Amino acid sequence: MARVILKDIKKIYPMSGDQKKKKAKGKKTEHKTGNLQITDKGVVAVQAFNLDIADKEFIVLVGPSGCGKSTTLRMIAGLEDISEGDLYIDDELMNGVAPKDRDIAMVFQNYALYPHMSVYDNMAFSLKLKHMDKKEIDVKVREAAEILGITEYLDRKPKALSGGQRQRVAIGRAIVRNPKVFLMDEPLSNLDAKLRNQMRAEILKLRQKINTTFIYVTHDQTEAMTLGDRIVIMKDGYIQQIGTPQQVFDHPANLFVAGFIGSPQMNMMDGRLIKKDGKYAVELPGTTVVLSEEKQARLAANDVAEQEVIVGVRPEHVILTDSGYRGTVEVSELMGSSMHVHLTDVHGKDMVVILNDKKDFDKFTTGAQIDLTFTPDVVHVFDRTTQKNLEW
Amino acid sequence: MNTNTVNSKKAIAQLTIVRIIVYIILAILTILCLFSFYMLIINSTRSNGELQGGFTLIPSTHFIQNLVNAWNDSSINIPRGMLNSFLIAALSAICATYFSALTAYGIHAYNFRGKKFAYWFILAIMVIPSQVAASGFVQICYKFGLTNNYLMLILPGIASPVVFFYMKQYMEAVLPMEIVEAARVDGSNEFFTFNRVILPMLKPALAVQLIFTFVASWNNYFLPSLLLTKSELKTVPIMIAQLRSADYSKFDMGKVYMFILLAILPVVIVYLILNRNIIKGVTSGSVKG
Amino acid sequence: MKEKKEKRHVSYAKWGLIFIAPFFIAYIIFSLAPQIITIYNAFFENYRSGLTIVGPNFVGLRNFVSLFTPDANGTIDILKYTGNTLLMWVEGAIPQIVIALLLAIFFTSYRLKIKGQGFFKAVIYMPNMIMASAFSMLFFTLFSNVGPVNQVIQAMGWADATIDFFSMTVTVRGMIALMNFLMWFGNTTILLMAGIMGIDQSMFEAANIDGANSLQTFFRVTLPLLKPILVYTIITAMIGGLQMFDVPQVLTNGFGVPNRTTMTLVMYLNNFLSGKNYGMSGAVSVILFIVTGILSLITFRSLRTQSEEA
Repeated sequence: MARVILKDIKKIYPMSGDQKKKKAKGKKTEHKTGNLQITDKGVVAVQAFNLDIADKEFIVLVGPSGCGKSTTLRMIAGLEDISEGDLYIDDELMNGVAPKDRDIAMVFQNYALYPHMSVYDNMAFSLKLKHMDKKEIDVKVREAAEILGITEYLDRKPKALSGGQRQRVAIGRAIVRNPKVFLMDEPLSNLDAKLRNQMRAEILKLRQKINTTFIYVTHDQTEAMTLGDRIVIMKDGYIQQIGTPQQVFDHPANLFVAGFIGSPQMNMMDGRLIKKDGKYAVELPGTTVVLSEEKQARLAANDVAEQEVIVGVRPEHVILTDSGYRGTVEVSELMGSSMHVHLTDVHGKDMVVILNDKKDFDKFTTGAQIDLTFTPDVVHVFDRTTQKNLEW
Repeated sequence: MNTNTVNSKKAIAQLTIVRIIVYIILAILTILCLFSFYMLIINSTRSNGELQGGFTLIPSTHFIQNLVNAWNDSSINIPRGMLNSFLIAALSAICATYFSALTAYGIHAYNFRGKKFAYWFILAIMVIPSQVAASGFVQICYKFGLTNNYLMLILPGIASPVVFFYMKQYMEAVLPMEIVEAARVDGSNEFFTFNRVILPMLKPALAVQLIFTFVASWNNYFLPSLLLTKSELKTVPIMIAQLRSADYSKFDMGKVYMFILLAILPVVIVYLILNRNIIKGVTSGSVKG
Repeated sequence: MKEKKEKRHVSYAKWGLIFIAPFFIAYIIFSLAPQIITIYNAFFENYRSGLTIVGPNFVGLRNFVSLFTPDANGTIDILKYTGNTLLMWVEGAIPQIVIALLLAIFFTSYRLKIKGQGFFKAVIYMPNMIMASAFSMLFFTLFSNVGPVNQVIQAMGWADATIDFFSMTVTVRGMIALMNFLMWFGNTTILLMAGIMGIDQSMFEAANIDGANSLQTFFRVTLPLLKPILVYTIITAMIGGLQMFDVPQVLTNGFGVPNRTTMTLVMYLNNFLSGKNYGMSGAVSVILFIVTGILSLITFRSLRTQSEEA
């Protein structure tokens, strides 16, 4: 039972004297603050963050570095002060509560194991601080070690462990506490690709075993999509979209989300949204696609007018045709079961197409011209200036 | 081809000559460094009569006798002096090292108003010679009856800018904030975190600084000589200076050499065991150019 | 939803202040306050004459005036002692820096590949750890009229009579300089080695490929890149040199023999202090403070300009 509510939470880092002077002089401080908003109070790292996390939900905060995802997590943990807004865990205001009294556990990016303590002592440390009975500690530590398969390493020091084993110890240290909320800050980013996939699956298994509320921060969209019940996509301190993995994949709220979720990236083409016989269609050089009923309805509901738009189509949704949107093959990468073809379109923009039919593979030598089109239900239209999805 | 081999032979010959010169220079410096100590050891094994008789590089047989004589000397109580010196040096080393680490951690791990000022202030006072405070310090001690009080030699170590600076640099290299945060989440209070999590991580640096501060205090002569007037409280360097001011021609010279040997022996022993760590410690605390 | 209005923020700032407090309290009690009292005293007449205590009476700058007033022979003591201190420092520091620079280059040279570096480093650093007063006492006994040095000289027939090393300015200063050299050149070597090893190795390789010989590499590459740490080493050594005390004090039994030509600034200060003349000791301390202050400012400035250049 742990519901976490974030209400209008903001993080503002006060500017130092030097930065203020620079700002007054009109010099850019962008190399330090990125595109974060700078107000009189300071640099806003997290903007009015609202989120209601249900009990036992797995929430993933995802975004590029500097987007405020880690800061948000650290505010939930109590490691970072909340500048404005309220944080509730189980209806209790947590803003001024010390981390140890929030009933949370956290897994850090660099594991943060105590180097001078054995694995056992690392895991037992928090329980000892609670003055728990020694026998009880022993039971809990061994249980957690069993779940994570690190029983044989309990006497070792962290130095003597591999990256994956250290990660397990870090997780073990968190689960022995039976926390209400389980916080994870990029726990897999220091592992190699193979181990990362393996650990991702283990986190899913772990979740079924310990069934509690998870808040997970990552910059990797694959982790976000595979782990999260809901995903929160952030950029420059602002929430871009909150939704289930399917929702954010199928209905990205804006160009940023569309580009961030999915790999390879969604193709963005310059096109025009027109009304043809009362129906919305996108017009691209060489092809015109009348949109699906669902999209018609959503656009009509927003009363969208004809306009120049950015048309987004995912690489896996591009279809070959005899005469359509024209592209020139730059390179093609054979991935085994599929082929990624990199093209330049008529406007000189880069595109990627994924082909799954082996018959097509040898057609695409460098310099070949190909024609493309799209099915009505996978085309996204974005406003050119606001970059918002016009369906929203 | 031919000229090449000739050239390379020439280069090798040149390098060999340079190498020989370098080793000769090193040998001379080694002798220069060790000769006086070698003489000290030799002379501490010789009786007064032998010492008057002439110079030799060969040890004699009176080491134990000299040791017993020096140890039991009535005017210079060297065992007592060594005990006093050890007590002061050990306590001030612990004080200086612990509190410098604590100060460095306070500045390393926390953000507070005036933190930058505190840091630069400590760096600035590093270059003020301690003798500048001596006059006022001695006056205060006499005024409040604090002479002959070891605390006056131990407690000032709490503010040791050089040790602070070393610790700060070490922390920057080895102490990730994540560890501190993990301890916070685990329920450890800040003081407990410092003592149980941070200090064990600083062990190598603490060891180096314990040695340096111990040696500095063991060798310290200026302030103790001004503050310690009671003979039973005097430290080794003061006794050595006393030896110098005594009419030494009446002295048993074997005993004099033995006193000097005893004065430097504890540090030499520590140095022989730990010289690698000590030399490593010299560089890691210095300002990077 | 319950709301606890009293505590809305998590802050650890106070712990930083608590942790640095002991340092600053100790500094204020044991250093800053005594320093202020020292400076304050410099403006008072306050000394002991026999059993009577004179002062403290405010005398303005009279202590400083008397410091700089020539004595019957026309010498101004404080200038003489400052001169002695700097001269003896220079006599030790020049070989110290030159030898240290040479050794640092030998030890770091990948062409020379000096063996036994650990041993040599341990040997040359050792005198730094030795009690200066004991080292000085050892030199005194070795060079005394009946000491081994004189015994060797006589045995070899190099001199007819006993050489009294302590009656000649040049030999006493020489011994002090030698001891200072021995105590510090190892330390300087190790610092400079760290400086050289901090230089990107590819610089030397590039210079080598560009056709520079060893001497050119040294003067055109190593020395300019080593300048910051060299400047730091020299100036901190100078500040240390100004505080020279243990060695000349014990060697000359506090008299600066012969004829006070080896008396240093701190020995002078010590004389006033052991005589409980707080007015004059305060005035000497102020001079010492000003001189080191100027040197430290130069250090900071040179370091700052270098870090800005980098």
